[in-house]
Amino acid sequence: MMMLQDGATQLLCLTASSGVPLFTRGASKQLPFSVIGSLNGVHMFGAGQGVVLTCCETEGGGKVVWRVFQDSVMLIAVSGGGHGGVGSSKEEEVRLQRLLENVWGCMVLVLGLDELVNLRNVERLKRDLRSCFSLIDELLEDRQEGVLGNLTHCADSLLPPNPTVLQEAVDGFAQAADSEFGCLVVHGRIAAATEKWWRLAPQEVVLLSALIRSLSVSGSASCDYPIFLPQGSPTVAHRLLRFQLLPGADVCVLCGPTPSLHGAETRLVGRFWSPLVETLRDCLAVGERCLLGSVSLRPDVLALLLINHETRRAVSCVRTSTYHYDAPLLSKARCWELLKLFYIFSTSRYFIQGETLCVSPEEKAQRGNTEDFPLGFSHQPQQCYLVTDECKSYGLQTPQHQLFLLILPSVPTFALRTLATQTLSDIVAATGF
Amino acid sequence: MAFANARHCAGKSPSRRHTDEEGADRGSDGASAASSFSSSDSSDDLEPEWLDDIQKNGELFYLELSEGEEEAALVQQANQGISTNHVRFSEKEAEIITEQNKKQRCTSQTKGEPTLKKLARILRRKRRPSQRRGGNHGSKDSSNLSPPASILKNQQGQRQGVTVQQQQLKEVCVYLNPKRLGGSSTPLCDGGGLLEALLGVVHRPAWSRGQQDPALITREERLTVHGLIPNSPAIKCGQILIGDVLVAVDDVDVTSENIERVLSCIPGPTQVRLTLETVAPLDRASAGDTSSIRKTKASPPVSQLVRLLWGEDTAELQMSISHIPHIVMYLSLNLDSASPQEEEEILYQYPVSEASSQLKGVRGIFLTLCDMLENVTGGRIISSSLLLGKHLVHVGYWKDSNNLLVIGLPAERVPLLYLQTVVGDVVRTLKVMYGSLDSAFCKVDHASRLDHFFCLFFQQLIQPSRLREGSSPAPPPDISGTLFLDGLPAVRWLTLPPEIKMEVDTVLSDFESSDFGEMSEDFFGLRRLYVILGSCLFYKSYLIANHLPKEDLLDVCLYCQHYCLLPLASEQRVGQLVIWREVFPQQRANGAAPGYSQAQGRHFLLIVGLRHFMQCVLLEAGGCASPALGSPGPDCVYVDQVKATLLQLEVLEAGIEERLNAPPAPCLSCADWFLPAASARDRLDSLASSSPVFSKLASAVKGSSSGSRGRSLFGEKSWRASLQRSLSDSGSEGQMDAGSGSSSSVAPGLSPHSTPDSARKLGGRRDSMGSGGSDGSGGSGGLFKIPRMKHPNPFYLGTLKKTLTERETEEMYNTMKLTSGAENTLFHYVLMETVQGIFIAPTHREVAQLSGSIHPQLIRNFHHCCLSIRAAFQQSLPARSRRAADRPQGGGWGLGPVKEHGVLFQCKPENWTDQRKPAPTMTYWVIGRMLLEPVPQEFYVCFHDSVPEVPVEMAFRLSFGLAL
Repeated sequence: MMMLQDGATQLLCLTASSGVPLFTRGASKQLPFSVIGSLNGVHMFGAGQGVVLTCCETEGGGKVVWRVFQDSVMLIAVSGGGHGGVGSSKEEEVRLQRLLENVWGCMVLVLGLDELVNLRNVERLKRDLRSCFSLIDELLEDRQEGVLGNLTHCADSLLPPNPTVLQEAVDGFAQAADSEFGCLVVHGRIAAATEKWWRLAPQEVVLLSALIRSLSVSGSASCDYPIFLPQGSPTVAHRLLRFQLLPGADVCVLCGPTPSLHGAETRLVGRFWSPLVETLRDCLAVGERCLLGSVSLRPDVLALLLINHETRRAVSCVRTSTYHYDAPLLSKARCWELLKLFYIFSTSRYFIQGETLCVSPEEKAQRGNTEDFPLGFSHQPQQCYLVTDECKSYGLQTPQHQLFLLILPSVPTFALRTLATQTLSDIVAATGF
Repeated sequence: MAFANARHCAGKSPSRRHTDEEGADRGSDGASAASSFSSSDSSDDLEPEWLDDIQKNGELFYLELSEGEEEAALVQQANQGISTNHVRFSEKEAEIITEQNKKQRCTSQTKGEPTLKKLARILRRKRRPSQRRGGNHGSKDSSNLSPPASILKNQQGQRQGVTVQQQQLKEVCVYLNPKRLGGSSTPLCDGGGLLEALLGVVHRPAWSRGQQDPALITREERLTVHGLIPNSPAIKCGQILIGDVLVAVDDVDVTSENIERVLSCIPGPTQVRLTLETVAPLDRASAGDTSSIRKTKASPPVSQLVRLLWGEDTAELQMSISHIPHIVMYLSLNLDSASPQEEEEILYQYPVSEASSQLKGVRGIFLTLCDMLENVTGGRIISSSLLLGKHLVHVGYWKDSNNLLVIGLPAERVPLLYLQTVVGDVVRTLKVMYGSLDSAFCKVDHASRLDHFFCLFFQQLIQPSRLREGSSPAPPPDISGTLFLDGLPAVRWLTLPPEIKMEVDTVLSDFESSDFGEMSEDFFGLRRLYVILGSCLFYKSYLIANHLPKEDLLDVCLYCQHYCLLPLASEQRVGQLVIWREVFPQQRANGAAPGYSQAQGRHFLLIVGLRHFMQCVLLEAGGCASPALGSPGPDCVYVDQVKATLLQLEVLEAGIEERLNAPPAPCLSCADWFLPAASARDRLDSLASSSPVFSKLASAVKGSSSGSRGRSLFGEKSWRASLQRSLSDSGSEGQMDAGSGSSSSVAPGLSPHSTPDSARKLGGRRDSMGSGGSDGSGGSGGLFKIPRMKHPNPFYLGTLKKTLTERETEEMYNTMKLTSGAENTLFHYVLMETVQGIFIAPTHREVAQLSGSIHPQLIRNFHHCCLSIRAAFQQSLPARSRRAADRPQGGGWGLGPVKEHGVLFQCKPENWTDQRKPAPTMTYWVIGRMLLEPVPQEFYVCFHDSVPEVPVEMAFRLSFGLAL
């Protein structure tokens, strides 16, 4: 008998001090209350004895991860292993840890830190938390294919055909709206953003992107949404103004009390963006490829994730090429999944550099509990590859970039390295990413 | 008595006589060889030394270090000064040796004192080298000179006799083994008594020294050292000097009155501390540093490991890691809520320390999680991670019916990736030793044994360096390496030259046939006690022959690993090791394939070690042998027979040593060669002129080509390439097994053309590997590759011949020649053959030869990486591994079955001081590849980045004999 379906992930949120359940998300069937109570109970019991329980693994890849945030909220993620979608235990653990961080981040984003830390009225908090559910579900289910920011904490970006025009438009628009923070999101990825937007904490950028995506899905033409920045201003709310320019293309600014949504929509949107409709259409045409047609990827490359540590941006794509007659073609979803798993595999075991950079010092201290296998290496890992039945994966890291590739299995292993370095230099040369 | 021994020996078995002669023929080695013979011979007449150690349940763990061990340790520790002193000392003495000999002869003739007679006997036995020292002793004795002779004392000034002397106390630790007394033919009733026999200190009571000073005759007399017996503990420690006065033994004051009593109280092999009053020249004593130096050398080290195995000292060792949280608990899941008793659910717990009590306190977590999670996620709990203050602790679980084994280990020692393997190994070891976890933990009288078991377990994992300390200058412990290599379901194998291999196998087979006198059923008309199921032989921790089924081998090896028997045999000369216990081989216990029922018998493991050899024998009682009743102890006949086998094998030691000393094949490179050190100018220069890789490559090509030219087809040194052959052979084997008609049609046709010599060699080797392939195919494989065997690469050309046209082959061959660089840039490798349960890696000595600062680092890194690679392999595999034996492993497919995984590393010299230039870097690959077909194998290599990709791919492909 199993209470959790294979591969399902359930998220439990309780108050840390009293163990009152706040909400449960994910999985079709909720875990019985007794189980939730026990899961919380063991952690509390341990904490009382000076032993902090962090995670637990069962046969078949099942995982439980505990984490207490700000001594006030306990988040528990339970995943039932045993189906194809779940990676090996180690990868799964990293995924769940990231999930908990992000869920906490988005709770702060929506409700502010004060309300979460000073638990005065649990019932009211429960009610308020409902406003996070859509965002949390988005994180839990990874609805949109090809968004890896939740994992990498690097903003998913899109390289537009004419970046300067868009960049000027975003800068001008933000300035006109009395804001330093503005960005243009195309297909859920950031096509252009102001300097300050990139200076936000990586997690904030990623969470804002997720928020914009979920707001955009709702279909409204514009909205005014109060948000807290988990790191920048966890207690003072800002306004996020979002305007849909074209279906799939949204522009946002973070601002104070002015301007009003209506005012901005009528005065500014038309002024800045109507001349650029064609450019935006070109942008939308780039679509999920993220990369320009001008960058010629080798046909053998199935999927690609390129991260720039310094700008904290990432581009990723899965090729929907049609000319792999010989090999049994991987589904697009499987490719994304493999890409994610390979990213976690490489970063949790080898590429410590990218990992540490991705994590803010505070976060690092909190996450000190996870084991650092990469620290055991006396020499620095630079590249790695995996050969499996389905495909070959190659990862490499340079001081500035990390590149992860899925490559057709027909490519000889010895050629992988050349192919990967070539791809990296091609993209960097063509786009200056 | 010696004569009797000899006769007995001659009558016993021709093989032993053979060894005896061999021993006599050996020159310098003779002394130690002879002494070991005498002890082993006498064990036939007298009761064996280990007889007293047999426990009530019949188990025996008897370990005795060899006589040479202490000396070896001393030499290793001592700085140059001491060793040169040795030389000087013997030179000095050589001048007077004739005179002394004469003197001694006349004294022994005229006086005929019993002590001297005994001395003479000792001298005769120990032959020339020791005779010198004996003579020295004799001269002191007769002349009764005052200036204390310097034995290993580096005091030039003192020799000139111009020193002011001062009394000083010093402490000396010596290793004594009363058990060995029985072995030496020293009659205890002689004047010397235990003082001489045990310690090797000659003290001549005043009354026997002569009548010139009758005033000195008192009953109670100070124990002045008048002489030292060669090869005794006293002389070997190098700290006891003639003229010293023995004041106390282990802080008990001794005089001539009570010394015998005190010494007779020493129960077993142990280390005692002697307090001696010594005369030291004043000037020397003022120089405090020398005395401190002496002090550091003063305790001849018996390594902690040995002491632990002897069962001493565990408290102190355990104390030193008590701050690191670790625990093992066996908990009952049948929680009876009505029972008021506290801690009732703890069936077993170790250790009892502060950090572990914290873990013990939260056992409720473990029980609850184990109980609950199975329902939630549908799988039993494997591990959980806890944070105790700053320590991250991984807890591994093993559920066994209604009980739960919980093992907590610090994360910095055992990565989570490998925890399951470690826990699985412990469980299997316990099952092998006790049959099941329940029977291991639930018997009260097992508690102390389990304490010992887990003490060893934690010590090995948490402070491996501490265990080794004192035995040799240990390299920094390679924890990942130990974890990785011990975790492999395989035993380290040493390829031997075919001739030696064949002899070893023959000797083992002879033994296993149980055809020796007392054991044959006809002899007494009784059913034999045990059937020998098989045995395996280790030499210095390498498996050199195995006649056991794989699973049994792994069981035996787990036991040996756990008790550190393998490193023990390689680092320290084991005087004698006898282990006997009932075991429960897992394969046999779990029942074999349906349709074939194995005889239900009880199984016993007998391990006998002599010096560097160790033989493990698996015996079965019941079945065709008579059933065992109760808990039988070791049977002398079997023990002696194994000993005889080992003695017989000692002849081969030289050959095996030669193999160990041989240059590694395939050639290994040292990482440091590729990285110019900041200080090494010449290296920099050479780098400037040409890349080191290139130059190495060039030289390699030169070397190999000249080698192949000068080599006859089946040269004597062919065995040097044995590893390549084993690699390529396994490949060829696979080819044959894969069984396409074309390959097998070629093979038999060609095999008759190979010379009988090669066929024999190959046959022997193949036999040794226990492979199923026919000799014919082996011969044919040989024919293909032998002409190029010297060429250091593991390529099997047979495959090439088959698949490529002539011209292409030629091309290929040229490529390989150029990139015989592929071998010369090889740093390290591990090849595991899953079917046979063995793995091959460069020997310790090969690694040691490639000293260097970066290379050890690189090897540590390699092992750490292998942990990850192997974990990746394991995750994608269904439960095939032996150790996670009876666990169904679901394991989502995640990334899918991993076939190959490689990581590229970059290393820089650590202390790069040159600011102007960036530090040079070297990059290298660590690659693991797993094959399931045709033969399950895992191959881990580490090589320099400069190898062109194509040859790497070729090497992989060809070494496995597979076209991917």
